[in-house]
Amino acid sequence: MGTKLSISNLGKFFGDLQVLRGIDLAVERGEFISVVGPSGCGKTTFLRIVAGLEQASSGQVVLDGRVVRSPGGDRGFVFQTDSLLPWRTVFANAIIGREIAGQVGPAERQRTLELLKLVGLEGFEHYHPRQLSGGMRQRVNLARALAIDPQVLLMDEPFSSLDAQTREIMQTELMRIWEEGRKTVLFVTHQIDEAVFLSDRVLVFARRPGRLRENVSINLTRPRTLAMKRTPEFVRYVDHIWRLIEDDVRASVIEEMV
Amino acid sequence: MSVSTQDAPAEATQAQAVTPILQGARLRYFAGVISVLGGLLFWELVSRVLVANPLFLAAPSQILQAIYSLTKSGEMQGHMAISAVEFALGYVIASVLGIILGFAMAESATAKRALQPWISGLYATPTIALAPLFILWLGIGIWSKVLVVIFLVLFPVTINTEAGLRTTSERLIEMLRSFGASSRQIFFKVSLPSAMPFILAGLKLGIGRGLIGVVVAELFGSRAGLGRLISQSADAFNMPELFAGVVVLAFAGIVMTAGFAWLEAKLVPWTKD
Repeated sequence: MGTKLSISNLGKFFGDLQVLRGIDLAVERGEFISVVGPSGCGKTTFLRIVAGLEQASSGQVVLDGRVVRSPGGDRGFVFQTDSLLPWRTVFANAIIGREIAGQVGPAERQRTLELLKLVGLEGFEHYHPRQLSGGMRQRVNLARALAIDPQVLLMDEPFSSLDAQTREIMQTELMRIWEEGRKTVLFVTHQIDEAVFLSDRVLVFARRPGRLRENVSINLTRPRTLAMKRTPEFVRYVDHIWRLIEDDVRASVIEEMV
Repeated sequence: MSVSTQDAPAEATQAQAVTPILQGARLRYFAGVISVLGGLLFWELVSRVLVANPLFLAAPSQILQAIYSLTKSGEMQGHMAISAVEFALGYVIASVLGIILGFAMAESATAKRALQPWISGLYATPTIALAPLFILWLGIGIWSKVLVVIFLVLFPVTINTEAGLRTTSERLIEMLRSFGASSRQIFFKVSLPSAMPFILAGLKLGIGRGLIGVVVAELFGSRAGLGRLISQSADAFNMPELFAGVVVLAFAGIVMTAGFAWLEAKLVPWTKD
């Protein structure tokens, strides 16, 4: 154990609008951390800064002792939309991160095939994205991020476009895959139950400006099963987090209606 | 490791409902053939019975005969070869140039500013009307026709290439960026492949325009070519030979467009669904 990712006093402005203020966070190696909050709380911006896709206006992100300034192979990003290249096969999509790094030797190819098997896509390597369901495309999205063997996995609402049943399946699948390698994960979602189910810790963000409201440790045993979602403990966590963001969510919903 | 069944690919599980659609599908399949044969029959009857004057109209059977005798004498091949060379030279030059200009315009705002007025202006201008001028400049040989073809093919290719590169999905570019891709890698791995359908569509538009360009330019003045065959036959009131030239051209257009459709299915299959 040790601090994998350390974020200090992180702030971000888009023009005059402050979207993030004073975020401090230390993530342990192998921790699964979710970020929840109402829309407009800057949770996706936060993740994009960690990915290096966006520059912080103040503060810094330090991964394994190095300051993050740009995207890099030590972070794997799983996108909200699958962002698969339609002209590439499942395999060619999954290995693209390695290809960009100029590493497509037999070892990397073998590793990519193993990962596709791990995410449940064995036998579909030569399919094209258009031949796959939404759930399967998100599996490729995940395998693609894992294929670069990142130090940290960054996931931006990866299951939000899936139907409720598929989402539940994907949550358990993600837990199964995560148990295999115990990567450090930052997972952004707007589903409170998803955050509680997956995480060791849930960061609850407040909005205007986006900031850390509470850091909720989830003390549920692992491995987790879908049945746990109906236990009183689980529901207590969900209730607690919901109460933290309720007012903010109402405010943001009213704002969106206007 | 098992795949959860609800995630099975749509295509693999999709059974085709065959029987009730079959008749409709068969009708659709033969609709083209029936329409063409019916049209030819009607044409044959009109020209034999109603018009019955070879100065005004040639029947399909007479046209076929003209094509046969022109081919036998070798005259047709000579005209076709000249027109084909003019078309091919102009088309290839315009395609390469158009793709380069399209790239330049998509990559550089300055290039776009500088080129856009010319492209828009010349695309809308009937440049074919300049053919006599080109003939004055370059003579009645093949190069005046090549220039006409270039002018007609260049702009749709340029415009489509630029549009294709510009519409590259930001999401896909961002995905590559997250892996630390260079701008060169982004260009070759995302922008170029996603612009391919647009570029091919531009090239396809160019076929028809290029063929028209060749023939019209030849009508204005030439020593050989299908346009020359057509104007000679018109001067001699030889309708079967005039139509022979037109039919060969139409056929070339159909074959090349079909070839392109095949190429699209091979190169950019993802645009089909």
